[in-house]
Amino acid sequence: MNRSAASRPRPHSRKAGGRRREEHCKTEEKADDVAPRGTCTTMCPISEVRQREAQNRLHHFEVLAGTERNRLPRADVCRAVKEYSRPAAGKDTTRASELRPPDVLLKTVCYLVDDVAACPSRQPWTEVYSFVFDRLRSVRQDMVIQRVSGPECASVLERTVRFLLYASYRLCGQPLRLYDPHINDTHLQESLSWLLECYSEGQHQHQDEFQALSLLYNLGSPRALQHALELPHKVRHSSPVQLALALNRAYMERNPVRLLRLAQRLDFLQACALHRHLLSCRRDLLLLYSHGHSSRNCRFPIQKLADILSLECSLAAQLCQTHGIHVNGDYVVFSKGSFTESPSEELQCAHMHKLVDDKQQDLSLSNIIHGIA
Amino acid sequence: MAHITINQYLQQVLEAIDTRDGVFCAELLSFKHPHVANPRLQLSSPEDKCQQVLEPPYDEMVAAHLRCTYAVANHDFVEAYKCQTVVVQSFLKAFQAHKEENWALPVMFAVTLDLRVFANNAEQQLQKKGKGKVGDMLEKAAEQLMSCFRVCASDNRAGIDDSKKWGMLFLINQLFKIYFKINKLHLCKPLIRAIDSSNLKDDYSMAQRVTYKYYVGRKAMFDSNFKLAEEYLSFSFQHSHRSCQRNKRLILIYLLPVKMLLGHMPTTQLLKKYDLMQFTDVTKAVSEGNLLLLNEALAKHETFFIRCGIFLILEKLKIITYRNLFKKVYLLLKTHQLPLDAFLVALKMMQVEEVDIDEVQCILANLIYMGHIKGYISHQHQKLVVSKQNPFPPLSSVS
Repeated sequence: MNRSAASRPRPHSRKAGGRRREEHCKTEEKADDVAPRGTCTTMCPISEVRQREAQNRLHHFEVLAGTERNRLPRADVCRAVKEYSRPAAGKDTTRASELRPPDVLLKTVCYLVDDVAACPSRQPWTEVYSFVFDRLRSVRQDMVIQRVSGPECASVLERTVRFLLYASYRLCGQPLRLYDPHINDTHLQESLSWLLECYSEGQHQHQDEFQALSLLYNLGSPRALQHALELPHKVRHSSPVQLALALNRAYMERNPVRLLRLAQRLDFLQACALHRHLLSCRRDLLLLYSHGHSSRNCRFPIQKLADILSLECSLAAQLCQTHGIHVNGDYVVFSKGSFTESPSEELQCAHMHKLVDDKQQDLSLSNIIHGIA
Repeated sequence: MAHITINQYLQQVLEAIDTRDGVFCAELLSFKHPHVANPRLQLSSPEDKCQQVLEPPYDEMVAAHLRCTYAVANHDFVEAYKCQTVVVQSFLKAFQAHKEENWALPVMFAVTLDLRVFANNAEQQLQKKGKGKVGDMLEKAAEQLMSCFRVCASDNRAGIDDSKKWGMLFLINQLFKIYFKINKLHLCKPLIRAIDSSNLKDDYSMAQRVTYKYYVGRKAMFDSNFKLAEEYLSFSFQHSHRSCQRNKRLILIYLLPVKMLLGHMPTTQLLKKYDLMQFTDVTKAVSEGNLLLLNEALAKHETFFIRCGIFLILEKLKIITYRNLFKKVYLLLKTHQLPLDAFLVALKMMQVEEVDIDEVQCILANLIYMGHIKGYISHQHQKLVVSKQNPFPPLSSVS
């Protein structure tokens, strides 16, 4: 092992450490541990720009204005972004000229956020999503290859997570070919756990925010909760984490009333993170009430129920009906026998977005993703 | 053992292999045996000597073992781990060549156990220097153990007495130790399946079965399968050797919360005997329906409970505590139609934050749904109407 390490050319090694050479354990670490460093200063390596131009594979967000109608449109170098490409055998992904160093990666992310994701003229947003999703993926790939860590890595991942969280809410209910919640979830979980790993070293300004988002997005997950319990005291007792923990406790005690009430206090992005659990949480409430209030003479005012569910009356009534609960004018009649799991997708989650929608107010998308509240 | 020479040592190894004396051979390769402290055997390059006496791959295995004793004597566990990896690899070469015989199983137990221990030590040593990722070493060790496991599990040819399958449970237990340590419980699943479908599962040594059930019980607990967890952990507790107080205590740390969730409270005597007084207030709080005390007890021993990974399970005791508290309200009021306000007062007494009548209804609805209370809520009359018979069924009959 020693020999192979020594024979490797190491441009920056100093001769001075002669004595250190004799120590056993030092040689093996750097042997295969020289991470490549990128030298590409643009968002997309020139070689890729030329290649995609020639193959007519530019995304129309990347085309130079005025050349759209050409047989082969030209690329606008300020707008072309390196696309994600699957690692394959024989492909050299470590060429320095095709890797973007951390500062360029962060600039790329900012471009994607400010000039693509948040740009109102780019429509439809599903297309914006698929473009940004892919380019963010390639940013992460460049980070993996160069083993980027520290604050720059965190900055990139924080924006990625915010973007994917926002998308999971905004695109909820879109047809599967335009938005696949499962794929979005996979990438979100991956970026999130990478980010939380980043946080285990050093000080990070936004740590509280993302620990809370992780708890909300993974509501009730024993793993996420155990992780939160093991956080440093200061982070764990910060107000966002405390609120997220309170919601999780309400979930574990199966107290959807408290959960939905606490949800009112969340900010917009936190609500986006929680959003995927709202439907099942409301369902839980109806299930519990169907058992708890199960008596022929009992009548439960629909208005009251709607308030507890954080829904408008008409939606509350609709939700009851999809679960087989009888609605009689202004009252609901619960009965444990009649509750059914809703088999149809008639009433989509997207129809019940008011709880989250109300929180966006006049926050701009770019401020949301950059975390400027 | 007296300080034998390298030649004497190698002769002993040779004899052990020739006579297929697995137990003796295992001793000669184990760090539990005193020969590892013999400075005459701690050599940095014993290869030539070994080659003179032993056939490959045994020479490689023993040379690596001796280099390992040298590394351990120098407190270099990273190096020790590397040597031990070579030991296991060369052992595996030999082991695979043993067709229809399993005399070397004790050797496998010895060398794989040491591998895990050194991976652990190496990792700690690297951590102190601020190098290496947590779990890396252990994960690599787990891969090695898996390759041993594959050899054992796929031994379908040999008769039952000569089968290498007798090595499976030991390896699984070692792997469990690693997976629990690096928090990758999902990796346990295929191993559990392998044992479940094995016809030897009840015939392994009791010690191995106790360890196995301990880990599977803990896993069931994290998967919220409390009945199964109780069964496995109870088995483990009842069958561990009476001299193993420490192990019994470890088992209890997980068995107690599970038992409590199922309605069985431990006696103070038991808690005292096993030095688990952290649980006394929790037990008291749950039995009395004292939410306030429960929260205090959890906060007081938080560090201990979190470290053991049972804090979240203990929090689940809140639901039972609500039940016990509400039962008290019922016993006090002596009626079957209980005003919801009474429960609200009780919760406020327990300093539950920002609680109101809607939440009271929700908590009650959940208790009714789970079968802890027989009755229904009348929203119009703001009352809980409970059954005349047995409105609070015993906990053990519910979950």
